[in-house]
Parts: sequence; structure tokens; C-alpha cells
Amino acid sequence: MAKYAMVLDYKNCINCKACEVACKEENGILLGANYHRIWVGVNEIKGEYPFLNIASHTFYPSQCQQCDNAPCQEVCPTRATYYDDNGVVRVDSNKCILCSYCMVACPYDARYVDERTMTVDKCNFCSDTRLARGEKTTACQATCPTKVRIFGDIEDPNSEISQVLRTREHFTLKSHIGTEPKLFYVK
Amino acid sequence: MEVEISRRRFLQGSVALSVVAVGATASIASKGEEKPKIVGNYGITKTSKKEVVMIPTLCEMCVNKCAVLARVEDGVVTKLDPNPYFPKSKNMLCPRGNAGIQALYDPDRLKYPLIRDGEKGSGKFKRVSWDEANEYIKEKMVKILDEEEDNRSTFLFCAGEGMAEHTFKTFYQAFGSSNWLNHASLCLQTVVSGYGATLGTYPSADLENAQYVIMAGANRAEAIVTPDSMDFFKRTQGRGAKLICIDPIFTNTAAKADKWLPIKPGTDLAFVLALTYVVIDEKMYNLKYVAENFDGFEEYKAHILGHKYTPEWAQEITGISAKDIREIAREFMLYAPKAIYYPGRRSTFSKNDFQLRRAMAIFQALGGGIDTKGGLIFGKSLKIEEHEGLSPLYAKAESRAIAKKDHPKKGEAGYADCAIVSGGGSWIGWRNRFLEGKMPYKVRGMFVYKHNPVLNMPNSAKTIEMLKKMDLVVAIDTMPSDTVLYADVVLPECTYLERTDPVKTFGGSEPSIAQRNKVIEPLYESKPIMDILRDLTAKISKPIFEITKKYDEDVQEAIEEDGEEEVYADFDLTKPFLHSQEELNEHAVAKYPGAAQILKTKGVYYPEMDKLFKQLSVNEYQYYPENSKFYSVLGGKTKMASGKVECNLASLADKGVDAMPTWKDEFAFVVPAGKFRLLTGRHAQFTQSGTSNNAMLKDLIDENYIWINKRVAKQKNIAFGDKIEVSSRIGCTVLKAYPTEKIAPDMVFFIHGFGQESKGLNMAYKVGGNDNSVIEDTIEPTYGSSIMHETNVEIRKV
Repeated sequence: MAKYAMVLDYKNCINCKACEVACKEENGILLGANYHRIWVGVNEIKGEYPFLNIASHTFYPSQCQQCDNAPCQEVCPTRATYYDDNGVVRVDSNKCILCSYCMVACPYDARYVDERTMTVDKCNFCSDTRLARGEKTTACQATCPTKVRIFGDIEDPNSEISQVLRTREHFTLKSHIGTEPKLFYVK
Repeated sequence: MEVEISRRRFLQGSVALSVVAVGATASIASKGEEKPKIVGNYGITKTSKKEVVMIPTLCEMCVNKCAVLARVEDGVVTKLDPNPYFPKSKNMLCPRGNAGIQALYDPDRLKYPLIRDGEKGSGKFKRVSWDEANEYIKEKMVKILDEEEDNRSTFLFCAGEGMAEHTFKTFYQAFGSSNWLNHASLCLQTVVSGYGATLGTYPSADLENAQYVIMAGANRAEAIVTPDSMDFFKRTQGRGAKLICIDPIFTNTAAKADKWLPIKPGTDLAFVLALTYVVIDEKMYNLKYVAENFDGFEEYKAHILGHKYTPEWAQEITGISAKDIREIAREFMLYAPKAIYYPGRRSTFSKNDFQLRRAMAIFQALGGGIDTKGGLIFGKSLKIEEHEGLSPLYAKAESRAIAKKDHPKKGEAGYADCAIVSGGGSWIGWRNRFLEGKMPYKVRGMFVYKHNPVLNMPNSAKTIEMLKKMDLVVAIDTMPSDTVLYADVVLPECTYLERTDPVKTFGGSEPSIAQRNKVIEPLYESKPIMDILRDLTAKISKPIFEITKKYDEDVQEAIEEDGEEEVYADFDLTKPFLHSQEELNEHAVAKYPGAAQILKTKGVYYPEMDKLFKQLSVNEYQYYPENSKFYSVLGGKTKMASGKVECNLASLADKGVDAMPTWKDEFAFVVPAGKFRLLTGRHAQFTQSGTSNNAMLKDLIDENYIWINKRVAKQKNIAFGDKIEVSSRIGCTVLKAYPTEKIAPDMVFFIHGFGQESKGLNMAYKVGGNDNSVIEDTIEPTYGSSIMHETNVEIRKV
């Protein structure tokens, strides 16, 4: 029993996409732009050459925000989307009927259809691969060259993630809509 | 705070990758082949819940050699994870490293030995056995060597970078040819030699501790170098290291900079000379360091001040304001010695590249940031035993096919096309001499190992012509590249995950030894280079010794004196390949007790690793405690014989090279109206042409796009994705447009390694554009390295 969350030191991100590949290889995600659990968001740079706005060109690693109050779970008619014992928002492919309500409900555009299992899939913090084997890191965290990610248990006050959240200024995405994401972006 | 969270990614559009059917129309694939061992879609498998033993190895998806732990389930590699034990790669694996599985399970891999069965370049090959392939090579070699009267140099040997390059090199040395070409003149020859001639070596940059860094023409966020990229970008953006990025285009490195200064291509030398002027003029340099460790400083000072390399002078040439130049020069010295003018690691962009590197090294040293924490460092290496090769002398072997000037005057280059011939030679110079009939003797055959000369050097058409003219081209590779297309015999090497390579020592502030261990047995009929050469030399050694006996008077005499058996023993080509790589590696590290075993189980070894290695946090590890890192090993001295920083090199002047970095008007950036300067480079998802058929990496960026300034594109009615023909004096290529403000109106840019013409590459065939079909094949005057950024092109919507 834990409450898993992730801190993203997003300024470290160089948009190399190692996390995307590690995720696909670990979790057996289909190839193709429409199938990925995690990605790096890039804003088009502002300004005209040579007067470009460096600060406008920031990389935001993103994925399922693992909301504590997940709209996708709320709207799921078959309870295919559920919280597991560690607070991770998971999807039961046996129960998913592909109604796609969750895709519409998710404010983070984090869900996609896996046509092999006919499930609306998303990031599950490697719960059925790495964590199931007793490993302590997700594939994206382990591989990251600049160490953007810290994964851990926020109910354990001694965990590194808890310490970081106590000491560094951070924000969550679209926090005003009350989803209570468990992905924290540190400044 | 507005944050981009769209799934739709940069340059991806809605074009999903269509997975190509395995074994489709490739004529390079031979009949009756086995189905490749692929699970899931391509080689992508979900890892299981099983605990398995992870096999430590080293990556070969690029030059860095990061440490990997390979997960193998039922004989299938299902995941590559970073191996935390390696101080060089520090517990990380980039996108290419992760995608190594797709190189292993690429359905287009070379699987069997092939012999050409059609016109050169037709891609028609027939599958043969290893013995048939070796027999074919033997017959051709015997014929050529007989006709050329045992001139071993009638064969050219060339190789790309890699841990097994050494093994292949052993073969050419034993064979006795003097014609060896490697990637250096297409890569970092000028930077390595520029620093070598000034500081005695090409140093590492301590980006973990530097507080001020000028990165000019180096793109560490996209051309990842370990440990530099990881050390540095955790500290940029107001977190300990100030970054000044100098680059004509806005890269991901620029996105991390405190200041991005777009410079006119090829004018970095003027920028550095002006920085030097400021610190000398204002006497801001480290007086003590210069007094103790410089040779020729007074001459250099007079040279810089005398030429009036002022910021105002440089402003006109570089496009960087005099104010910025002054500010950067002063700031650099303020932070020095924890300030770095980053040496970079990349190909030669302009004809003044060697002098640019010299000027950078000297500027760095003016701040005293040499052999010290936070500056450029030499570090330490752990010595290992070298694998001894064989270097027999053949009386009839001609010396290297280079054109020397008959009677060079003092102060004039000794060779026809460059001043100095390095170990790796000048590829372009060599190729062009071959085509122009300027060789001192006939070169009729070539061995190409892990190297793609058609794609990797300017003027692809000329390289193809060269390959067609050769009587025998033997290509040893893993993929049916554009070069393999023109081979007569193709020998399939296994990928890095299927072989053990020579153990290697990695120097630096935290030295270690690391080993690439075989993860699974070679697939199909592929073999490691060691085994390939063992079989080949067993086949050819005696027959070509017979040729030597016929023509080589020294050998004839020796046989009369000592008998044939004894003489042959010295010339026996098989000798370097008798032992397995595993045995050789054990021998190489025998002086370190237990190292051989640790290298097999952990992949990495350094003395007292078991005591020193510690996990510090969820992401960080300690390799050496801070007080025992090798930041400073020479007390500030350089590695030159004099121990000094060499400003004024009279020995260079004798060879026709400027003794001190000097600006010349011909270096100025000029683009005629209506034309564009073509720039090339890298993204983090590709390693030149070597990874272009990788399904996973293509999934990230489907092809290369040409960057065109947005306003120019608008004028020319060019939209994203429109097909653009890029043409120069030597040729053209077609690729899709990416209008962006990240590039100047008089330049275009696209990444290297695309536009392959080999139909054997199902994913890469005719995808994107090939820069080297457009870049003109000119070379710089010092080492004959190919110049990548001096071609002006026209663009046209098609």
C-alpha cells in the first residue's frame, strides 16, 4: 500500500524522447503517433529570427496525470478504470467496452485506443511490468539522461519525492478543475 | 500557467507510421530465408513479471558506448535498461540506446553472406555459404595481387567508428596495405588535432562543475555526448551554470541557454579572436597561469593586438554585436577557471576549422581553466594490455596513395591537397584522387567495415563511381546500406547485442574499464568481426603468401636462409584472430584481480568499485568520492612535450599552416541573392545514416525536414510538408519543408543520414533527403577534412 506519484524537474528536459521509447519497449506499446502513453510537449517558439524568445521554447514532459480525482474514472460506465491499492489509475481491459467516455473526460488528452486489446489505454506507472517485478522506478524515470523524473510514495514522509515536494516550489496541470493530479512539476 | 499537453507532437502531424510488411519487395533479401525472430509488432514486446538475470553490455547506437543492462526472456531481448555502474553514462540510456532492440530485430538486417548477382548497384545478390563467400574473395584477391605483383596497397581498407574497429584494423595491418581510411576526416579530425597541437591532447570538459560555458557550434541537447549532456542540462537555466549558445540555428541547446547568439556560419574564428583581443587588451587573463604555462604568449599577444581583432571588427564579420563580445569575454574571465569554451565533437564546418580549434584552446587557457575542476581536464586512464597485432613488411607494398609535392618550398604544404596526413587519412582527398586517375599505382579492391561512404561524405555520386570502379568491394555490415548496394561480396556482421567486443578503458575524472558482453547468440548466419576475420584469413593466408613468394625478393631470400615454414610463420595472417574475444579480454585486464569476472557480471570495473560505488538518491550514484576524482593530474601543465600551451607553432609554418590562428577575408560568410547556405546536423533520435531504418526511432521523427525561414517560406508559397528540391553545383535531393523562425532567411538546414537509395532498407528507402548528394566535396587545407557548411544551394517547391 502506497500512494505513488511523480515529480518532474521539467527544466532538465532536453526533449530527447528517451522516455517515450523506454515506455514503448517496456510496456509493449504499438508503434505510431497515435499510440503513446507519454510524450514531450513543445510550444512553437515565439519571435522572429534573430529575436527569438528563448523562454517560450520550453519542453514539458507529459502523460496521464494520475489524478486523485480522475474524471476518466468517474465517467467509466463499467468501472474498467479504477484506482489500484497504490492509488494508481489503472484500466482493466476485460471490462473496457471502448465507449471512449474517458477519452473525452480526460482534460490531459492522456488516453488512446490500443487496438490489440480494444482498450482505452494510458500510463499506469509501469504497474504491471516493473513495479510488479518489485522494481522501484518506472521505465521513463530510469532511462532519462537528465533525470527529469522522481517516482515514489508520497505517503512515506521519508521518500525522496516527499522531501522534494516539501522543499521545492511546484505546480500541477489544470489544478483549477479539481482533478488533483499526482504529477508535480517543480520549478 | 499555460502548458502544452497535446498528444500531437512536433513534426509528427497525423501521419502514423505504417508498419511495413516483413520481407516485402526488397530484392536484396535472398530467397528461402527464415522468418526473422520477431515478437509482437517489430521487436516491441511488453516485459513480463518474471525476474531475469540482466546481462551487462555497452550500447553501439552511437559513439558514446553507454552502459546497458539487457533483459532477456526466453532468448528474446525485451528491454534495454541503463546500467548504473558506469561513470561515463551515469545511469541513463537515450532514445537510440532504448531502440537498440529494433536494430537487433530489424527484419531488413543482413542475414547471410551474399555475392552480387547483377549490375553493381542493382541490389541483386545471391545467398551463399560463408565458405563460398570467402572462396570468392580469395580468388579475386589472388588474381588482383598476382596482377599487381604483390603490391598489398592495391587494397583499400576503411572503417567506421566502433569498438571492433580495432579488430578490423588488425586485419589491414596484418595484410600489409598502407591504404587505411577511417571516419576521422569526415568527423572530428580538426577539433582533435587543433587541441592536440595546442594542449597536447583533446581534453574532456568538466560540465559537472563549470559555472560558465560557451557552446559554439556544439549541440549537446541533441547530439548527446556522455557524460557532458547529462551533467550539464541539470544545471542550466539559472541553476548553477550559465550557458552562452553560439549557433546560426536555434537548437534545443539554444532553448537551454541564457543567451543565444546567432552567428554567421564559418565565422566563429573571428568571434574567438575578438574575445581574445578583449581579454589581452584589458589584461583580464590569468597572469600567473599564462606566465607559468604559456609558450609564445608575447608573439600571440602582438599578433592579436597587431591585427586589431577588436569586437567592432568581429561584429561585421560574425553578426554578433561588439557589446555582446565584450560582455562574454569579461564574464568568461570572471568565472574562470570554472569557465569552459566547449571544444565540441563534430565534423568540420568550415575551411578554418583547425585554426578555430587552436584559437579556442588558447582562449580557454588564458583563463587558466586547464587541468582543473570546472575547466577542461585531462583526467586519468586505467591501463589495460593491448591486443598485439601483426605488422609484416612486404617489399612490394607501395606506400600510402597520397600525392606528395615534388619539391615543396619551406612554408608550403608537403602534399597535393592538404598539409598533414593523419592516421585516418583524408577520405575525400583519397576518393577524388582515385577518380581523377592521380594514384601512384592501381588500387583495385576495398574492404568496407561498418562504414557507409556513399552517405557519410559529400558528393555521394562520386563515392558510387569509386565503388563501381573497384574490381572487388567486400562490405562487412549489419544492414544493407547504400554502400552495401555496390559491394561484390557482403559479409553479415552480427549486431552489438550479439557479440563481445574488445574491452575498453574510459579515461576522465572518474576512470573505468567497461566491456561489451554478448547478450544473445548471433541471429541468422551473422558473425562477430573476430570470427569473420578468423575464417577469411584461414582461407586467404596461404594463397596470398604464394603470391608474395613469387614477387617478394626479401621473402625469397629469407626462405632460402630459414626455410619456408619459419618465414610463413611471420606472415601468417590468421595469427591475430586465433583467440576468442573473451580470452583476449581476460588477458587485457589480467593485472586487475577479479576484473575479468566483474566485467562479465557488472559490465564495468574500476579499482575499489565495491567500496566506492554508492547510490546517493533515486537517480544519482557516486562512483568516486569528490576528493579522489582526477580533475587535476598535471598541476595545470598541458600534455605537450613542453608542458605548455603552444601559441606559436613554427613547425606548422614549415608545412604551410599558419603558426598562429589568423583570420582571412576568404573566410567571410557570403550567400549570393536567391541562394541559401546549407547547414546540417543532428537530432537526438538519430545517429547519421546508421539508424535510419530503425522502426522505433522513425516512430519519433518520420523523416528529415528542411528548415526554411517562415517569412521566406511564405514569400515562396511554401507550407509545412511541401516537397522541396534542394540543389547545388553537384546534385540535388528532395525533402519536405518545415517553415520556422529558428533559422535565418539566408540559410536552410536539415539533419544528415536520410534519403537512402537502398531498397533493402524498407523503412528508410527514399525517405527524406540526403545532404551529401548536395554538399560540395571541398576539403580544408590542414588535414583534408571534408567541409560541411560551405555549400550554397537553391530551393524550389516541386
